[in-house]
Amino acid sequence: MATLSRKNSNSQALYLPEADNAFSVEDTALEEDCQPTKMKCLEGPHLHQRPGRLCGPMIPKAEEKNKVAEEEDLDPYLVTDPDEEENDLGDPAALDATHYMQSLHYLSPISFQPAFPNTSSPARHFGPQQPLLDSSLFCNSLPSWPSRLSSSAKKTWFQQPDPYANLMTRKEKDWVTKVLMAQLQSKNPHLEDYYYQKYYEKLEKKADEEKHGQRNRVQSPKLVTPYVQKAEAYESVVRIEGSLGQVAVSTCFSPRRAIDAVSHGTQEQDPAAASSQKLRVLCKIERMFLPLLEIEEGQKDGLPQPCPFGQQDNQVEKLFQALKAQEQNNLEEIADSFLQVLSVRKGKTLVARLLPFLLPDQAVSLLLVITQHLPLLIRRDVTDQALHMLFKPLGKYISHLTFHKLLQGLQGLLLLPPGSSENQVTVVLQNQFGISLLYALLSHGEQLVSLDSSLKEPNRDRTAWTDMVVLVAREIARMPTASLAEPLAFPSNLLPLFCCLMDKQLVQKLEARMEGKSQPLIQAQSRICHSLPHFF
Amino acid sequence: MNYMPGTASLIEDIDMGIKLRTFHFRGRHSATELNPRPEKHLVLLRDGRTLIGFLRSIDQFANLVLHQTVERIHVGKKYGDIPRGIFVVRGENVVLLGEIDLEKESDTPLQQVSIEEILEEQRVEQQTKLEAEKLKVQALKDRGLSIPRADTLDEY
Repeated sequence: MATLSRKNSNSQALYLPEADNAFSVEDTALEEDCQPTKMKCLEGPHLHQRPGRLCGPMIPKAEEKNKVAEEEDLDPYLVTDPDEEENDLGDPAALDATHYMQSLHYLSPISFQPAFPNTSSPARHFGPQQPLLDSSLFCNSLPSWPSRLSSSAKKTWFQQPDPYANLMTRKEKDWVTKVLMAQLQSKNPHLEDYYYQKYYEKLEKKADEEKHGQRNRVQSPKLVTPYVQKAEAYESVVRIEGSLGQVAVSTCFSPRRAIDAVSHGTQEQDPAAASSQKLRVLCKIERMFLPLLEIEEGQKDGLPQPCPFGQQDNQVEKLFQALKAQEQNNLEEIADSFLQVLSVRKGKTLVARLLPFLLPDQAVSLLLVITQHLPLLIRRDVTDQALHMLFKPLGKYISHLTFHKLLQGLQGLLLLPPGSSENQVTVVLQNQFGISLLYALLSHGEQLVSLDSSLKEPNRDRTAWTDMVVLVAREIARMPTASLAEPLAFPSNLLPLFCCLMDKQLVQKLEARMEGKSQPLIQAQSRICHSLPHFF
Repeated sequence: MNYMPGTASLIEDIDMGIKLRTFHFRGRHSATELNPRPEKHLVLLRDGRTLIGFLRSIDQFANLVLHQTVERIHVGKKYGDIPRGIFVVRGENVVLLGEIDLEKESDTPLQQVSIEEILEEQRVEQQTKLEAEKLKVQALKDRGLSIPRADTLDEY
């Protein structure tokens, strides 16, 4: 195929763009088919390069070119006009005869009639030769991508109307855009498209900072979804009874809803069916999270408005009741269910995020429960190590504690319950959250004591308090420094408190050595009562 | 400005690809708005082929219609183009696609060669790879080890 006889190429008749030639193709041999195409394609690049010069009949030019081609041993790329600005086709690029023919045949095996494409009238088709038009145009324009053209040729290429422009009509484009954007629409973009919204806010903030004061701020693009009415009620997830998971149902309008972690559809009402208690607790936590998210959203958006605030209060109340499981009458059970929630990492985050919204009384009650069961919580937190997130929200409510309540809490913590061998205080002191909470409580207690003069005289509460402090101090002194956890916050008034107790210990030791018959503890207590005002 | 992520952003590329750019030809802007041009795109397919063509049409699955497509084979620092014509690519087979900046297209450090040359180079490359692989397998076999081939692995 590479060696085409020159005689064959002389068949000028094939170059005439006559319709009957189209039907003579079947008779002609393959080679003859190929050559005229090839010949024609020689013309192509040139024609396309200098469309400005295309005028009048193509054919004579074709013939002329053809002759030139014959003489030059059929190398398409050496065929140039002398006055051409640039021979971009001089490189041996891409159009080798064999491969080229193969690909052309691949495209349109039907006919290869050299119905010559008149580029000045691209709309003219030669009936059954429409595929040919494609192939011819493609072979015409293949080497003529603007990157390889000279600058003026590039200009003409751009100025010339593209015959294939608007293959996709406006209507079709709008339809595709509509379908794609409809998939992205959401009722609450801040919830469903959280990351993009945050990113956009960040961009806006940066733009504001950079062009502060300038009028023309670069508007960063924002996703605006068209509002498309959903056809029917769409249930994104289907729940199977007894399973924890969801089966996703997605349509072309809303593929995203299928990946929600929590079902927005029917709430499952099968707590009885849930087998294990752990599962029940987990389900409960999940159920409580949604209202929490709503509360947080409400707080973020509607702070100045009083009306939603009332509704929010209601929600908070509901959530608190759910947390405390108020329907159960037994006090222990209430604490128990709350503790179970706290044993799960997600439960801790739930409580930590809910605490800022609770009323002080409610928060204080939670704080007390936590304090009293601190060793248990610490033990259950060994794997998660997540108790620390509760410290800050709880810390805010410690100052709401009355002295009596504080004492109650501490007593619950520090006094050994019957049957337990382990020293509670040790466990607490070894845990970061525990030690921080303890310090905070003690510090608050000290503050209360110092401020309230009625507590100065020794009464039962006072002694109990001092006992507590002594106990803690003793433990701290006893334990090696390495096993003491690093507290999250060290209150400033604890050190004087312990300092004076160190004295007391020294006193105790001395008294013990002296084998005093008097009870050193009571003596020490009275000494503390006198020495404490010294520090304030 | 409306932000259209994903497939929707291709809509703009189809006919108004160079609308926002201006060409300074002899001090004048060319009227590109009147003659909308498609963007030239480079599409990488899942089977490793690289196609370059003008994007003509898309649909919501990112099925593409490429016009005047060329398959570009890269071997080392050389590349060769095989003209392919019109491609309709099913969206799921596209790994990535990007615009080709027509102005920057020509300044590439790669060298273009003819089709046979690049196919020859590709064949040679495949052969050397196979031989290296064979040597490696032989060396491992001599030491009593074997790398299980993915197609013969029947554990999964």
